[in-house]
Amino acid sequence: MIEIRDLTKIYRMGDVQVNALDGLSLAIEKGEFLGIMGASGSGKTTLLHMLGLLDVPTSGKIVIDDTDILALTDYEKTMFRLYRLGYVFQDYALVPDLTVMENVSLPAMLRKDRTEEQTQNDSYGILRKFGLYDRRDHLPRELSGGQQQRVSIARAMVNKPDILFADEPCANLDSENSKVVLDLFREINEDLQQTIVMVSHEDWHKDYFHRIIQLKDGKVVAA
Amino acid sequence: MGKKELKVASLLALRSLQRGSRSSVVLTVLIIGMCFTNMIFLPSLFNGIGQSITKQIVDYEVSNVIVSPKSGNQYITDLDATLDLINGMPGVQRASPHYSKGATFHFRQRTLGVNVRAIAPTDEKEVSPVYTKMIAGSYLGEGDTGEVIIGRPIAGDAAVRQEDEFQESLGGVRVGDSVTIEYGNGYTKEYRVKGIYETGWSPVDSAAYVSWTDMEQVEGSALYKADLITVKAKPGYSEQFIKNELLAYGVGVNGKVQTTGDLLSKSMGRALQSFAIINMVSLIVSIIITTVVLFIVITIKTLNSRKQIGVLKAIGVDKEVIMHNYGFQVIILGILGIVLGIIITLVLAMYLAYHPIVTPEWSATMYLTPLDLLINSVILFIAALIAGYVPAYQISREDIQTAMRA
Repeated sequence: MIEIRDLTKIYRMGDVQVNALDGLSLAIEKGEFLGIMGASGSGKTTLLHMLGLLDVPTSGKIVIDDTDILALTDYEKTMFRLYRLGYVFQDYALVPDLTVMENVSLPAMLRKDRTEEQTQNDSYGILRKFGLYDRRDHLPRELSGGQQQRVSIARAMVNKPDILFADEPCANLDSENSKVVLDLFREINEDLQQTIVMVSHEDWHKDYFHRIIQLKDGKVVAA
Repeated sequence: MGKKELKVASLLALRSLQRGSRSSVVLTVLIIGMCFTNMIFLPSLFNGIGQSITKQIVDYEVSNVIVSPKSGNQYITDLDATLDLINGMPGVQRASPHYSKGATFHFRQRTLGVNVRAIAPTDEKEVSPVYTKMIAGSYLGEGDTGEVIIGRPIAGDAAVRQEDEFQESLGGVRVGDSVTIEYGNGYTKEYRVKGIYETGWSPVDSAAYVSWTDMEQVEGSALYKADLITVKAKPGYSEQFIKNELLAYGVGVNGKVQTTGDLLSKSMGRALQSFAIINMVSLIVSIIITTVVLFIVITIKTLNSRKQIGVLKAIGVDKEVIMHNYGFQVIILGILGIVLGIIITLVLAMYLAYHPIVTPEWSATMYLTPLDLLINSVILFIAALIAGYVPAYQISREDIQTAMRA
């Protein structure tokens, strides 16, 4: 379970102060597929970055399964991201010099509790599940946008994270590929009881979410 | 850093070099290779020149130790006793006396001033390899009189006109020809040219040799004095050991004892100092170029990959892994560059071994030892590591948001 209390993020650009998050509080249940929606600049991505430990808030608290994640050291945060969080980016963010297999297995290779054989089996397993096994030796540039995003999701899922964060994962995809990706998220959520927190601004994505929170000016305006 | 982290860092490094810009990799390796060559070429060439000069001085001039008259004296006197003493000492292969006299050579219409050196041929053959450098005729024998051996530049070439000669000569003397030698004391004598030699060491090639017996005729009496005595050490005995022995046995009372090293440090000291300065400048410039090039290469690489670095950190890759990724790239580039540099250097060394740089004074090849290669490799490798790790360290410390926004 994720518990967010009075989360504030203030950006200062010279004399201008922008409250990207303004005392936001929220709870996300385990196994929930949560959609974060809102207009551009409403604070969706900022919130996701705070939850994913990619940025630090100005104030507030985030507790994941009784762990105050903002109190962790830099190294502990890295390990928390590696073992317990998965992150899917809008632009796939794959390592261009690594093959599909290498991209997917990269986070698994760093886990100290997995053997080399287990890492390989996990990676092959997820590639088969996501229909990417035949493309395992291809480089990202040799794949379509939809395939690259599926590789990105596979990479985020290979360590079986507690929470999967997705930042507008369909923004660069056509509607057909977007549907494939969203179906995949739904399948992961239903089959594995995977908690997913996804940022989107597309209305038709609403059908996939268990719950939607609407943000405006860094505050929850509807839940 | 555990084994797994190192494995991931090396995987990222290898793939970046394999699948990244090939031209960048080739160019970087080439620059490191050239810098390595630059670091080692001039110093080893200067060493080669130094070695060549030293060898020629040892072989043709002073051997390992030289005994010369004490200050204020013109000759070493009591020669027989001194030679007996030196030859009886441990570590001494042979001592050879030299007695020089200025003379004028006459051949047909040519006249040439030459320094004539009297030697005891049997002793001299044990001390100096001039006898192996005969290009025509034969070396002097013990008791030869009326016979002379001359250096090739003195003999000259009949095909070259006098006005075109680089160095004055007798205009094409051949073995068996007669030359008239007029000594400084007025003694004049007809000599048969017994042999012509060429050592490549100018002071010796510009001289002529007669036997000790012949010089006694010139002087009109038995010679019990010498300008100098050259002493050859037996293999395994150092010059310093021989010098110490000579001094211990009292040779220093009758003459001044110096090793080749003593002489070289006086005559060549300034030249060697200049070589050392040039070597140091060459070394420093090469290290700076390598460091700057690698620093720029890795800085550009890291700046171009800032977003990717941010993403890697976002998915749980530790900053140490990211830093070592770039560190390993530098290590690989450095090793490849050094290997290339060693290959280029060895090719140059082989070429110069077959085609030495020849001047009238000396001929030189590269003097290169495995230790030179190792030391330069280590220096360049350390410079490369510093140049690569500094930008890698800086970029790996950047926070995720800043990196991802780049």
